[in-house]
Amino acid sequence: MHRRTLLRIGVVGAAATPLAGCLDDLFGETNRVPDRLSDPPDAVYLPTHVDDHTSPIVTETGPYGVAVMYTYPHYFWLVTGRDTRFVEIKSDHDIHLMATVWDAATGTVLPTGSLDVSIARDGETVAERSLWPMVSQRMGPHFGDNLTLDGDGTYEATITVGHPDSRLAGDLADRPGDSTSVTVDLEYAASTVDDLEFDVFDDPGQPGAAEAMAMPMLPELSAPEALSGDTLGEARLDDAAAEVVGLDEPPPGVEGTGPYLAVVLTTPYNRFPLPMASMTATVRREDDTVFDGPLVETLSPELGSHYGAIVDDLDGGDAVDVVVEAPPQIARHEGYETAFLEMDGFTVTV
Amino acid sequence: MADDDPVTVSRRGVLRTAVSVGGLAGLAACLEEEGDAPVPIGPDDLSGMPARQFAWNDVLRVDDHGNRVAPRHRVLLLLEYLGEGPPTPADRDETESALRTLERAYERSPEGLLFTVSYSPAYFDRFPDDLDDGVDLPEPEALAPFESPDPDRPDAVVHLASDRASVVLEAEEALRGSLDEANGRDVEATLDGIFRVADRRTGFVGAGLPADRQDVRGLPDSAPVPEDAPMFMGFKSDFRRNQASEDRVAIRDGPFADGTTQQLSRIRLHLDQWYEQDDRHHRVATMFCPAHAEEGFVDGVGDNLEAGGQVADRGCPERAEADARERGVVGHSQKTAAARVDGDSRLLRRDFNSTDGDRATLHFLSLQRTIADFVETREAMNGTDLASAGAVGRRTNNGILQYMTVERRGNYLLPPRSLRSLPPANP
Repeated sequence: MHRRTLLRIGVVGAAATPLAGCLDDLFGETNRVPDRLSDPPDAVYLPTHVDDHTSPIVTETGPYGVAVMYTYPHYFWLVTGRDTRFVEIKSDHDIHLMATVWDAATGTVLPTGSLDVSIARDGETVAERSLWPMVSQRMGPHFGDNLTLDGDGTYEATITVGHPDSRLAGDLADRPGDSTSVTVDLEYAASTVDDLEFDVFDDPGQPGAAEAMAMPMLPELSAPEALSGDTLGEARLDDAAAEVVGLDEPPPGVEGTGPYLAVVLTTPYNRFPLPMASMTATVRREDDTVFDGPLVETLSPELGSHYGAIVDDLDGGDAVDVVVEAPPQIARHEGYETAFLEMDGFTVTV
Repeated sequence: MADDDPVTVSRRGVLRTAVSVGGLAGLAACLEEEGDAPVPIGPDDLSGMPARQFAWNDVLRVDDHGNRVAPRHRVLLLLEYLGEGPPTPADRDETESALRTLERAYERSPEGLLFTVSYSPAYFDRFPDDLDDGVDLPEPEALAPFESPDPDRPDAVVHLASDRASVVLEAEEALRGSLDEANGRDVEATLDGIFRVADRRTGFVGAGLPADRQDVRGLPDSAPVPEDAPMFMGFKSDFRRNQASEDRVAIRDGPFADGTTQQLSRIRLHLDQWYEQDDRHHRVATMFCPAHAEEGFVDGVGDNLEAGGQVADRGCPERAEADARERGVVGHSQKTAAARVDGDSRLLRRDFNSTDGDRATLHFLSLQRTIADFVETREAMNGTDLASAGAVGRRTNNGILQYMTVERRGNYLLPPRSLRSLPPANP
């Protein structure tokens, strides 16, 4: 029986409920994952539990920085269209493996692309697959899935990182497009997972979010605080925060010239990027339509992950209608699976 | 003997792995398990053999909907020619004699043996002259931003196919020089001393076979592959209307007329997510198209799709970009159908699943007039533009790309029968 130290996890948001209550009935069972809420609210909410993870193995391959770590098996939700499907934990799952990827030169987090893992021991492959792009309140954007290993020991994990899904701009524009691989040693022991700090929230389901983990070895995972350009407006879409920004010129690497309209879509409390959505925008000036077209998912160091397009013209008084055709298809950890789905659109006036 | 009698179970187990194990031991196990039904023998006079090595369609069985039923058991031998530089006439003659041995030993049919021999760009580099320029045969390369397969460059590939596992194994052993007789005929010549086997790949396709072989890495322990599925992913795939005709893939002119090109990839399948995390709706949407999923159009493994073609008929390829943007998902067939020319597929797929290395694998073998036909179809399959346009990711919700890793790829010229034995580059 392992007595777990209570990690005082901060809570961010409207209903800040401090961690309290007696959790003695948690101890005495290893890997005691609470069941998900039967009736979660239709918003970002405090999950039933959060946990720590192993110390990240930080490495580089090609232009990418990669951190690899694991934790208890987790349930999560995959997204197709506006529907989610619940992925449960199987009894033979050993870990939830996670990898965070960033552009090594600029520190820009890369939330999409492909990340394949092949885990072997003594030359025999034990597990391999393409990890899902996902987002969690504690970890932010990362790639992950639950895996079954083959007992305690040292494994060789070969990580293959592919180019992000989105258009790359700014300093990211000239990064090579090939996938690149690196192999790291992954030490696994069931007791390592057991010893990870694991905490249950007293008040799951309240609006709010667990505080993001401090991960000093990784770059900043939230959207940049001060976005370059002028903020033209903000909106809340099924609890996602949308900030509309106008720049005089597009970031380098985006072909064309003219005012650049960008929508930065993030989680509401921790400001993590929400990629893999489809959006269009219309710019109206009195009776004219100045622009009507898709906002292309783009990554740049200055704006982070955003949806942008060059519009011919942008003047004070213009109305910008943003329509979300498909919400972010990124997989969700607990607390994010009811939000960011029923997203229609909004209008801001420049 | 009861079905779950331990001896029966272990025999079934032996048969399940006999082809992948191979050798005389695998052959003996197969022969014992298959029983005594004779294998139809080939003709003495080979003058009636078709000009195209790959002319299989006229002898393949056809199901109720006109779909050709692929031969169930396969062996691929990737061969290196032992000589330096261009092959000698003696080796050419011996090779031809070895192949004629097979043609005389087994009827040209799925009850007997079907086989082809093809050659890589590396083989043709042995000659001072270039390969005839009527043939489009580039070196293999990565065809997607997220893949980096190792190139296969054997001199030659022999593809053996039969509904009888013992036939593919016996034919292989005959070629290797381990047998004096094949199906009662004398083995006149073998490839022993001419080629060495650099790699051996095996597999199976057809209802019942994948379900019986799913206890390998890459598939969950819950044994979810349906009993009647012809392939590991649980759906029928070689529908008549989605396959090019043999005429469509044949080289039309020049010395290699009635040949074709062959692309062969070794693809690892990662189907734990496919079966345990995706649901039926998602599987249908990503294998076929979202409209099929929404309308519950596919029953079970897809026998109700008859001769196929509905994805194209229902306008799904034209909707791919809209589906990517609005539904956040596109289907595999939806994307590949966009590569058709005049409504016809450019590829004749003769692919099959495998448990080589104890891992769920697909040996994707396709025949096409030019390798460019394959490249363009593969690019359509990647849906890279769709990933840039909308919510669909490079791999997430983008057809079935999530579930596969291309590990190896090779391109080959499959010459006409008259040039199948160590052909010159410019006949």
